[in-house]
Amino acid sequence: MYGKILAAVNEHINSEVSARYAINLSKVTGSRLFLCHITPHEAAEEVRALSLDAVDRLLRCARSEGVTAEGVTGSGDVVAGIVRLVQREGIGLVFAATRRKDVERRFYAGTVARSLSIGLPCSVALVRVVHMGRGQPREILVPLKERMGRVTEMSYFVAMMARAFDSRVYLFHAAEKKKAVSGIFPRDAGVRPIEQEVELPPMVLNFIEQLEIYKVKHEQRLRAGPAGEGLTMEAAARRYGLIIMGASERSLLSSLIRGNPVEEAMRKTPCNLIVLTARHEH
Amino acid sequence: MSINALSTQEALNSLVSSEDGLGPDEAQRRLRDSGPNEIGLIAGEPLIWKFLRQFTHFLAVLLWVAALLSFVSEYLNPGQGMLQLALAIIAVIFINAVFAFAQEYRAEKAMEEMRKLLPFNVWVLRGGVEKEAAASAIAVGDVVLLKAGDKVPADARLIEAREIRFNNAPLTGESEPVAGTALPFPGELVRSPNIAFAGATVLNGSGKAVVFATGLRTEFGRIARLTGTVQAGETPLQREINRLTHIIAALAMGIGAVFFTIGYFIGVPFWDNFIFGIGVIVALVPEGLLPTVTLSLAMASQRMARKKALMKTLTSVETLGSVTVICTDKTGTLTENRMSVRKTVELALGIKPSLYEIALLCSNVEIIEGRPEGEPTETAIYNEAVRSAAVPGSVRLAEFPFGPEIKRMSTVCSVGGRTYVLSKGAPESIFSICRKCSAADPSTPRPLEEAVPVCNSLMDEGLRVLAFAFRELKPPEEARTRQEAERDMTLAGFMGIEDPPRPGVKEAIGKCGESGVRIVMMTGDSARTAVAVAKQVGLFSGKEGIPVLDDADFRDMSDEALRPVLSGRAVILSRMTPEHKLRVVNILKDSGDRVAMTGDGVNDAPALKRADMGVAMGSGTDVAKEAADMVLIDDNFVSIVDAIEEGKAVYENIRKFISYVFTSNVAEVMPYIFFIVFKLPLALTIIQILAIDLGTDMLPALALGAERPTPEVSRTPPRAEGKRLLDLPVVARVFFFLAMIESASGFSGFFHVLYSSGWKWGEQLAASDPVYIRATTACLAGIAVAQAANVFQCRSFRESVFRIGFFSNWLIFPGVAFEILLLLFIIYTPFGNGVFSTAPLGWDVWLVLAPFALLLFFAEELRKLMARRFFPEKKPSI
Repeated sequence: MYGKILAAVNEHINSEVSARYAINLSKVTGSRLFLCHITPHEAAEEVRALSLDAVDRLLRCARSEGVTAEGVTGSGDVVAGIVRLVQREGIGLVFAATRRKDVERRFYAGTVARSLSIGLPCSVALVRVVHMGRGQPREILVPLKERMGRVTEMSYFVAMMARAFDSRVYLFHAAEKKKAVSGIFPRDAGVRPIEQEVELPPMVLNFIEQLEIYKVKHEQRLRAGPAGEGLTMEAAARRYGLIIMGASERSLLSSLIRGNPVEEAMRKTPCNLIVLTARHEH
Repeated sequence: MSINALSTQEALNSLVSSEDGLGPDEAQRRLRDSGPNEIGLIAGEPLIWKFLRQFTHFLAVLLWVAALLSFVSEYLNPGQGMLQLALAIIAVIFINAVFAFAQEYRAEKAMEEMRKLLPFNVWVLRGGVEKEAAASAIAVGDVVLLKAGDKVPADARLIEAREIRFNNAPLTGESEPVAGTALPFPGELVRSPNIAFAGATVLNGSGKAVVFATGLRTEFGRIARLTGTVQAGETPLQREINRLTHIIAALAMGIGAVFFTIGYFIGVPFWDNFIFGIGVIVALVPEGLLPTVTLSLAMASQRMARKKALMKTLTSVETLGSVTVICTDKTGTLTENRMSVRKTVELALGIKPSLYEIALLCSNVEIIEGRPEGEPTETAIYNEAVRSAAVPGSVRLAEFPFGPEIKRMSTVCSVGGRTYVLSKGAPESIFSICRKCSAADPSTPRPLEEAVPVCNSLMDEGLRVLAFAFRELKPPEEARTRQEAERDMTLAGFMGIEDPPRPGVKEAIGKCGESGVRIVMMTGDSARTAVAVAKQVGLFSGKEGIPVLDDADFRDMSDEALRPVLSGRAVILSRMTPEHKLRVVNILKDSGDRVAMTGDGVNDAPALKRADMGVAMGSGTDVAKEAADMVLIDDNFVSIVDAIEEGKAVYENIRKFISYVFTSNVAEVMPYIFFIVFKLPLALTIIQILAIDLGTDMLPALALGAERPTPEVSRTPPRAEGKRLLDLPVVARVFFFLAMIESASGFSGFFHVLYSSGWKWGEQLAASDPVYIRATTACLAGIAVAQAANVFQCRSFRESVFRIGFFSNWLIFPGVAFEILLLLFIIYTPFGNGVFSTAPLGWDVWLVLAPFALLLFFAEELRKLMARRFFPEKKPSI
């Protein structure tokens, strides 16, 4: 699926950690890796130097892992440069790191991360790095939504990441309890929380089936309750090394009214998080 | 790989740092990226919102509607006293809100306590230069310098360690020092000795470490985040009262709508209908319920405090009564934490070093003013050894300290010109480094297996067993590392340490068994020792099996696999680390259990908060106490069980006074129904309803809240999730029996005054008519007098007052006295007459009313007798 993978590198250590995920994924998928740095025009020379050092380090690291990798550097508009490269090389997946100031903005508006996830014609893995000590996640948490797009690609990505790190996958599905029509008498009185768990939606079942094709060890964790809060608590309670989740498919209006679990997870995640905007049908 | 598994250089490379640390610019850049190294507040609901929410719940909304209608009525039809009523209703809303807020408000101090465990300043290397920096300015990649007495500011990988030892108690709950090393460790990061964790204290030695996680991303931050995020949810009582108010609202609106419609069709004037609508709402809403519940819970918490259980949240008082499972630590809670060596087994006599000499030389007990000071287990061993052997002259060459994972310590000592490695620890840990047992004749070594039955027999007696081993180092062999020292050792023997069960624990566990409360015992001891102690305290008889899981089992099993195991009558979790407590609580809560969880460490805080009833030990950390709902002053399990009994009694008491309050509420509605249906003058004004609900009823209801638990309560099973405060039998008794007698009492007084004044059926009276005022006063008095009799009968749903004893709850008498005095004040003082539109009554009225009080009393006695006789088993609640 991912014949070519690109990792965007800059002067920040977050991008280096993000690129290491790309190296590991390239290793198991046999993909060709592009480590790309584009220096914005207004950036200081020091920024360029730090970034090129990072590209060098990552290239050495990738080659030592047996990954076919090449460094691509340039200058100008970062997003436009990466878009051109993706189109020219036919890249299937781009890894980009987000920063704290990105996720502090609502919907990451106006950030490079946002522009990449919207503007690129390929899949995008936005990486939020919050913990530098767990380079090899032993346990990966995968929150599953009721409605998911590109289940095939999502399951492939999760499976390959699990394979790359020999990790166990924990599938997490939270669904808010449906309220009684009147709202007066709680319907679930006397019902144990375990009995309140909703049936797994078809797309989640489809995801599990796909995952089993790759023989990935997984466990299901089902919760009744708000997704964002439940996810943050689950991630903190179990010391997961990585969370992988699909990009939000809620509209702007819906996000404003109902909130956005993906955005909430980006802000509150206690471990590293990858948000995958999948764009491959198969 | 995780950072703990990397070499120091690889670790530095992975963080793009160096032994000289970050440059100042890079440190600033990273700090901007990751944010300050702080345990920030988890955003929660602002306090002002919490307060305002008290004005928008269902009961409050209902009262707002009533107040609004009163204002509208006053505007459109002035002079009917509706303005005073509106203001009175708003006052009621405010009183209720303040009480509820005081109940709910709980300062989130646990996070504040946690912040105190982090340092303010720290020494760092920036570009190779040592400098002092604010701990909040530490960034990932910074190299921090650690020395004895320092607090670790962030999670960091040791890159240099010079005999450094940490106290990781804030994270692990273990007070045993952990030796630090800079060597790679292939295991889990959280168990790695090459990690200095934020919040830990450096006990001795020094070192350098490169920071890899800051703020909420540290292990310490993880605990803080969980403590700030997890919520136990609404208590069962909050849920029930919420539900009750919804029912009352539906009832009030339903009755209002039905009779308003009837009134419209039979031609009742609009303003009469309007007054009726407000009256039904005010009559049915128990305005005094929330303050009464709060005060009743406060009284119960006072009683619990006398039993050495301090309640931190009032609603938790009742939660105790519904607890279905208690997860308790063993040491210090079920047992006294008073260690003494009961048995010593030397595998061979007359050898050097003897077991006692090993015990003395492999020990960190300090002698202060002639007395040994240290861990209880260490001190017990030292005391026993010093009784049997003289402390040999020796020089300690090295020490490999105890670690919670490795579960042993070793020393290298020079004794009489010979050098020995001496070890002590958990048997399985010592066995793993031994090759043989000691023998009187060293030329015929005994196999290690011979010692296993000896060890097992000690454990089966409930003793905490420690094994001792030694090895002589032959020159030129050296033991510079743990791996070099701890190998090919000879097992010298065992000591069995006793920690006696606390007095009363066996009986308390027996009570739990009778009432169906399950127990999960958590201990760091071995399974055999835990099982033996469980037998001693009566957790199981030994005939039936008891599930025992150790730390490894617990990690490996999924939640689904653990759920049936934890649902057993009793379960032992042995060799357990406290970090699993939250998982235990989550699994049990998901299964529908209501969980009480004990804890004392910082890392227990999330589980204590998540549990329905977090129980902190009085000797525990401030963080645990702040996160818990209840603090046990004496750390004693017996106090938990006592408190549970009190909690069960509280729920029953709340049911009692709710049935008491509802009796008068229903009686208050009847005049309004008669007013609409039979076009009679209104027998009770709205302000008089408030006089009963917020006046005469209050103290008797509170007295019912002080009923003591009966002996049967301890055997009562935990309240089922679906059990209601007002169930059908109670509703039937209140609505169709007691309230009817009270209504009759009120109407009798009302009609007695009217007829004795020459009133004719169908005649309408002005609100200011003295006859009408006296008549409504008589109705008020009729209901209040009947309530004075009712309070005695509400003390038990089933038992005769004569059997439970008139004076067994003496508070009833001041309650009734207050009720009567207040009634007299309302009726016979100009002030009372002015506020409540009342007038003095003649003795004839009291003569009419008194029989109704007696009727209610004896009719209820008769009903109870019939209930006991005809429904002995099926309907225990009536």
